[in-house]
Amino acid sequence: MTLNGGAPAALHAERLWFSFRNHDWVLKDVSLAIPAGKHTVIMGPSGTGKTTLLRVLAGLLKPNQGQVRVFGQPTQELKSRELSALVGYIPQQLGLVRNLSALENVLMGALGRLADSKALFGLFPRDEMDKARAALEMMGIEHKGSEQVFRLSGGERQRVAIARTLLQHPRIVVADEFASDLDLALASEILARIRRAAEQERITFIMSMHRIGLARQFGDAVLALRNGELAPGFIGNEILEIPSIEAPV
Amino acid sequence: MRSSFVLPISAALFLLAVLAHLGFFDWARLSRGFRNLGILGADMVPPDLGILPVAGAALWETVEMSFAGTLLGFLASLPLSILGTRRLFSRWVSSLARFIAAGIRTIPVLLWAIVFVILVGLGPLAGTFGIAAYTVGYLAKIYADLFEGTDPEIMEAVQSTGASKLQLVRFVVMPEAANAVLAQVLFMLEYNIRASSILGFVGAGGLGFVIQIYLQNLDYRRLATVLLLVLVLVLLMDGISAWLRKRFLLSAHAA
Repeated sequence: MTLNGGAPAALHAERLWFSFRNHDWVLKDVSLAIPAGKHTVIMGPSGTGKTTLLRVLAGLLKPNQGQVRVFGQPTQELKSRELSALVGYIPQQLGLVRNLSALENVLMGALGRLADSKALFGLFPRDEMDKARAALEMMGIEHKGSEQVFRLSGGERQRVAIARTLLQHPRIVVADEFASDLDLALASEILARIRRAAEQERITFIMSMHRIGLARQFGDAVLALRNGELAPGFIGNEILEIPSIEAPV
Repeated sequence: MRSSFVLPISAALFLLAVLAHLGFFDWARLSRGFRNLGILGADMVPPDLGILPVAGAALWETVEMSFAGTLLGFLASLPLSILGTRRLFSRWVSSLARFIAAGIRTIPVLLWAIVFVILVGLGPLAGTFGIAAYTVGYLAKIYADLFEGTDPEIMEAVQSTGASKLQLVRFVVMPEAANAVLAQVLFMLEYNIRASSILGFVGAGGLGFVIQIYLQNLDYRRLATVLLLVLVLVLLMDGISAWLRKRFLLSAHAA
């Protein structure tokens, strides 16, 4: 399957079915292909399976049927470190370690590249430290590096989480309900920064959101998930477009 | 009768029966007890401060034993509790680690002290090991439960950076639990200071030996001095741990 004139899709999900312990299907035959560089937003009412879909796409959950390929490689066949070089994941509550500093949290993005022996003593190579500071700077909070995460505001935490995935150098970042708790102006500013960083680092973002204005600002494509099915259609009164992405059969 | 009354009423009846069996309603005996309390109190004053050098040395030994025993036990409890964390290790490994901790915990600290008196001979070294052993059993269980409660979202997020199991422990599990880990060590230290003041009863060093001798000799004025020293020590420990808590733990409550 190729898109964009022969380039393989950055992420290609094929006929995903998923259920927790054989209860009702959470995902029903979901297929999608996301070209590299095409930031994609997934919308849908709560409880519709967005988080589950994102976790399956990120390789954190194994689908009952179907498969996800990232740059042609099936996620289920990749080792944890191989997967981490391709896909970064930011959960809804961001998954930051509250008692550690912003800089330490960002440095965790490098763990997949480091041997246990040094990292365990908190010794990170100088170039990783420099990259971590650069990532914080790119998100506009370089002055908060030594601050413990629990002292940071909501918006600052979002930036730390993004900086952590930037340090990870993945090709794709999957983020759940990103910027949902922030006021519109702040969310918009952070999303603009993410777009700049994504272009610079050649990362494709896949995010779930519930605010359509932000979705349109950020996404090159918006998908709708309803009752576990990918559905072009309506959310509220808005018509969602799915430009240039066709669900492969 | 409404069913909601059944439990409290049967508990009350059971309590009465047990108290009767234990001799609680033997009024003659109880009144004799009150009289003896007066005599004991009178015999204790004034405390004999002449033994302060002896008792002070024994007290210091008790402090050394509790401090070293608590720290050794704490260090040993960390790997055991990490192995006992089901989220990190397989069911087999974690069950085995938890079983070992439970086995150690089953034996009270006084029995551990006796075991170590047999193994390494009389004196504070046996007491130190005894305290360490009991501390391992207790902390390993508490910590394993604590580590298991680490927010799964944080675990998943950091795991997805390609972090190894050890790195997860170092960068997620430990920092997230740090406050509770410190609070439990302080609690254990306070507990061990009280507990170690009786280990001398079985020859494992510290104040207990002195207490036992004064008790046997009905030397209540000297006993009173020792008990006062223990009181001062416990109050001092309370103060120190309150200060440590305030210094290191308060910040976490802002989260």
